[in-house]
Amino acid sequence: MAQPVVEIRHVSKYFAKVIANKDVSFTVHQGEVVALLGENGAGKSTIMKILYGLYGADEGEIRIRGEAVHIKSPKDAMSRGVAMIQQHFSLVPTHTVTENIILGNVHGRIAIKEYEEKVKAIAESYGFDVPVDAKVGDLAVGVQQKVEILKALYLNASILIMDEPTAVLTPQESEHLMGFIREFAAKGNCVIFITHKMKEVMEAADRIVIMRSGVVVGDVRKEDTDEAELARLMIGQELTAPVRTQAPERSEAPAVLELKGVSALGPEKTPVLQQVSFSVHAGEIFGIAGVSGNGQDEVCEVICGSRPVTEGEVVYRGEDITRQTIRQRIDGGIGYVPVDRYRDGMIMDMTLAENILLKSSYGGRWTSRGFISQKRLNDYTSQIIRDHQVKATGPSDLARSLSGGNQQKVVLAREIDVGQHLLIFNQPTRGLDMGAVDRIHHTILQEREKGKAVLLVSTELSEIFEMCDRIAIMYKGRIMGIYRNGELNTQEIGLMMAGVAAGKEGQ
Amino acid sequence: MKRLKERYGEVLLFNIGAVVVGLILSACMLLFMKLNPIEVYSSAFLKIVTDKYTMGEVLVKSTPLVFTALAFAFTYKANLFNIGAQGQFYAGSIVAITLSLQLGAVLPTGLTILLVLVGSFLAGGIVGALIGFAKARFNANEFLVSMMSTYVVSAVMDYLLRTVLRETKGEYLQTDPIDAKAYLPSILPGTRVHLGTLLAILTAILVWVLLYKTPLGFRIRAVGSNATAAELAGIRSKRIYVIAFLISGGLAGMAGLTEINGVQHMLLQNFNSSIGSFGIGIAILANGHPLGILFASLLFGFMNIMGTTMGRMPGLNIPSSIIDLIEGIVMICVIISYFLRGYVHNRREKQRLRKAGAQK
Repeated sequence: MAQPVVEIRHVSKYFAKVIANKDVSFTVHQGEVVALLGENGAGKSTIMKILYGLYGADEGEIRIRGEAVHIKSPKDAMSRGVAMIQQHFSLVPTHTVTENIILGNVHGRIAIKEYEEKVKAIAESYGFDVPVDAKVGDLAVGVQQKVEILKALYLNASILIMDEPTAVLTPQESEHLMGFIREFAAKGNCVIFITHKMKEVMEAADRIVIMRSGVVVGDVRKEDTDEAELARLMIGQELTAPVRTQAPERSEAPAVLELKGVSALGPEKTPVLQQVSFSVHAGEIFGIAGVSGNGQDEVCEVICGSRPVTEGEVVYRGEDITRQTIRQRIDGGIGYVPVDRYRDGMIMDMTLAENILLKSSYGGRWTSRGFISQKRLNDYTSQIIRDHQVKATGPSDLARSLSGGNQQKVVLAREIDVGQHLLIFNQPTRGLDMGAVDRIHHTILQEREKGKAVLLVSTELSEIFEMCDRIAIMYKGRIMGIYRNGELNTQEIGLMMAGVAAGKEGQ
Repeated sequence: MKRLKERYGEVLLFNIGAVVVGLILSACMLLFMKLNPIEVYSSAFLKIVTDKYTMGEVLVKSTPLVFTALAFAFTYKANLFNIGAQGQFYAGSIVAITLSLQLGAVLPTGLTILLVLVGSFLAGGIVGALIGFAKARFNANEFLVSMMSTYVVSAVMDYLLRTVLRETKGEYLQTDPIDAKAYLPSILPGTRVHLGTLLAILTAILVWVLLYKTPLGFRIRAVGSNATAAELAGIRSKRIYVIAFLISGGLAGMAGLTEINGVQHMLLQNFNSSIGSFGIGIAILANGHPLGILFASLLFGFMNIMGTTMGRMPGLNIPSSIIDLIEGIVMICVIISYFLRGYVHNRREKQRLRKAGAQK
């Protein structure tokens, strides 16, 4: 066989407290697309960041085209043809596409027109429709990603690493991206893409490297495997999908939450929500589908009270709560699992018990004579750890020391307790391993059975289809339509997520 | 629990190491002056531990440092920086001297002390709360505002010393001495150690209880660790900013009581002008922990007295600036050791993992 382009040999990387990579070895050949498959926290991103020079390896070596290399920085990596597109783009929003692409690689006077022509030529050669003189901040996420790719192409990258490239794309955009990956590899380059989505793997990859807990557990050619085997390798056990029965027609159940023509502004006074109206009934899971960043977060925020409403009203159990404080709404029984656990949901430097206390530090529930009753709080937290099968040693563990899935279980337990009537879940399973996802889905369904109203925001269509009774699709701060689950197929929803209005409006 | 104790041991080890390194570096300065550092150090040390009065002075010097360090640590827990403990201390002192001069001769000792305690706390607290308010309402940078507030308060103090508070003789920029009835009672005969020292210890314990055992303290720490999450939990971080600064300022203000009624018995220009900045260093040395602050303050009180003792040694002519220098060098070493400790800790964790990984 020909000499591999990239050879990773016995690389290990230790962070304080965790083994991120242990003895990782694999190779990538010319013209090959390799998928790095694994759950979150399996060490996929880490090994790629080592290849890209963002981290240094503690042990092992990397060879590129047979030559042992010591990549100390991304600049180093780029000079060897390695480019990486991170999950969060590294673009300057106030600069134009061309300026972003040439950033860091020009000196002296810049003949911007010349560069624009050059960038345009590259874009055209791959069939990218990118306005080279537009400001990056004005572009859609899918287009921004293309700008990132163009940046790599401009630097003549021959080894392209992509970290979860489809996470922010519509199904149609993903398909287009997969096409590009195939085309790029066919020209004699290689692509490594990180993912946890089985479908993409089977679609685009030649070879699949499966990682689990920092080690490589499988390295297979696509022809020799199937999704079932990959899933087994990825999680180390078989999984059974939760069985959900479609809720009966619930419209006669009382509406717990009602949004009536709600609008809200974002930073710089741009409208982020426009005339959003829907209602969520008791015993129902109401889903909001859409590409992330189309107003779903803002919908959750106006309901829980952290974002002011400029127009319209939020009605909760027959009462207008538009002007209520966050605390009033918590006391009223609204639970909220935010999308960003690190920023909004937990205090990582505090213990699990303190995180349970977070939303109920007012009122006398956890105090006696003005002092926090540590024993009662610890007992309750221990019970949560048992009931929700949180992998932790006890209530005084720091939240930071838990894995993402276990942190989420703690947040979930707290919010279920707070949300006596209404639960808002904003992408509750994002980035979690399949075991935890399964567990969380079961919990959400259980809460529905108790007669709570549930609002579930998700960017994963499979999750929406699996969990929801009714589905709303959001695009640019508007509701594109509301449908009962089963009325639409993936294709139709995909189009609406991209802003193409469907034939009929929601009821 | 066992690991926690190991950590404490480690902290102690690093801090002692830092002090020793600091003293060795300072010894070089003494060498430049053609003095034998070992001789100077050991005789100063001996003087302190053998002389009861000097020993007491260590406690006297440590006392106000406890308050200013607690002041810094308190806002630090809310992820705010109160650099203005000096000013809040002055504000407390102004109120303490005014109340003591007016009421000291009339009221019984206990009542005067109680009034001064409340008054100096409120005075410092109000200055602090204003800083917190500027932060909450206008999103002003509390670091700068609190730093500048010190200059404002000390200018006000100067003004008062030149006008209404000036001593009857009108000779120096200082007040009349307060009546002996308003003194904080001495608690160790033969020394100047006063009730304020006990008060400092008590306050440190109270601050610890407040921060770690009450809902308010929990909310302050929650806002400090993650203001967005706290806000989403219904905790209004802006209100917490004001409360935290109020208490912080009050703590610094209380040093006014101990210094006016316990030590100086009068207010004079530029007095104790560095306890604010030393408080910051002490709080960092103790990693913001109220009980650690007690020990760290003691260390700095000791250093201060050691310097003074060295300066008084007959025939050596050690200038007082060298004393400040030694304190400064030790402080820098302590702060460096803080980062070194983190580094060593990280490395050890990594090695432990590597071994665990190899066994697998």
